Amino acid sequence: MFGLTLILISIFAGFLGSLLGLGGGIIVVPALTLGFGVDIRYAIAASLISIIATSSGAAAGFLKDHLTNLRLAVLLEVGTVGGAMVGFLIASVIKDSYLFIIFGTFLVFSAIMLLKKKGDSLSLTDHPWSQRLKLAASFPNEKGILTEYKVENVILGLWAMFFAGILSALLGIGSGIFKVLAMDGAMKLPMKVSSATSNFMIGVTASASAGAYFLRGDIRPEIACPVSVGIIIGSWIGARMMPKMPAATIRKIFVGVLLIVSVQMIVKGLKDG
Amino acid sequence: MDKLQNLELKISRFLRIGVIVAGLMMLTGWLTTFQWSGNPLIKFKTYSQLSVFLHLELALMDENWGMLLSYAGLVALISLPVLRVLLTMVLFMKQKEYILSVVAAFVLIGLVVSFTFGMEH
Repeated sequence: MFGLTLILISIFAGFLGSLLGLGGGIIVVPALTLGFGVDIRYAIAASLISIIATSSGAAAGFLKDHLTNLRLAVLLEVGTVGGAMVGFLIASVIKDSYLFIIFGTFLVFSAIMLLKKKGDSLSLTDHPWSQRLKLAASFPNEKGILTEYKVENVILGLWAMFFAGILSALLGIGSGIFKVLAMDGAMKLPMKVSSATSNFMIGVTASASAGAYFLRGDIRPEIACPVSVGIIIGSWIGARMMPKMPAATIRKIFVGVLLIVSVQMIVKGLKDG
Repeated sequence: MDKLQNLELKISRFLRIGVIVAGLMMLTGWLTTFQWSGNPLIKFKTYSQLSVFLHLELALMDENWGMLLSYAGLVALISLPVLRVLLTMVLFMKQKEYILSVVAAFVLIGLVVSFTFGMEH
């Protein structure tokens, strides 16, 4: 019964994640720890596996639509993989209670970001590194017209990716929110390009720490397999139902749920600490 | 179709097929070892560090093929982004984009080093 409940929750997490543009980790880790009583280290490790699955699947679609900046992604992956290495080492020494508190704080931040209205950037100045590596590109806008864009603040972007990598390994999340924030806010990339490029990098970021967690024996098939399969199915359904769903209403309800869960995570961390 | 678009399509196809294959392996493995009664997650309430090699040895001794298939699916899924970086590196090299190819090699080395952390910590 528990196994079936787990796969159903994972399907729901994948569905909601794809509808709201979030990774499943934000739902799976609290569900496993608060709902099923699973140790947070197993939950984080299982979540990373589901992130690789969903990001790889979605990245395939974005690549076909020519929204991903492949050259920029490869460069920024240096930052995310470096961050993931540091994140794994921190996770190896940090107390469980701190993981709950950091996760809870991350949920509050995610809730705020979900409510924030998304603007769009289009830079006309190119960073020297961008010129050297030919990172400027074009993307099809809403009307299908190819629009050229340039890339600013590459070094700041790399540092932001390093931070995103730390959080990904530490909390078992994709850190897409931070990646998009850095690419849109600091590097001034168009939102569509930021989202697609972030998604493309998430798999590599998650894989860096997932490989380490796997070899340490933290990724257990009894949890990771149903969670990943459920999330793959859920995100597949979510992507197909997206046009028919009232995304704005769901977003508002989900923000409320996120805030409640964040309080529960922080309280658990404080109690156990 | 330009070179970059061709490269994007190759990687896209590789990722799509990879996720399906790994997903099917994990699903089959999980269904064959599925515990219909009780709570299969009860043993994960407390954390105990035991290397993956010991888990594999136990599954092999018990001839638990479903568990081994699940592990194979997990390995396939974790390897997917690694192979994607390798593919990107090779394809950039073919296009004579040497700097980006070296950057991809750095990412690849980073991934391998990160994996070794799992055996030491």
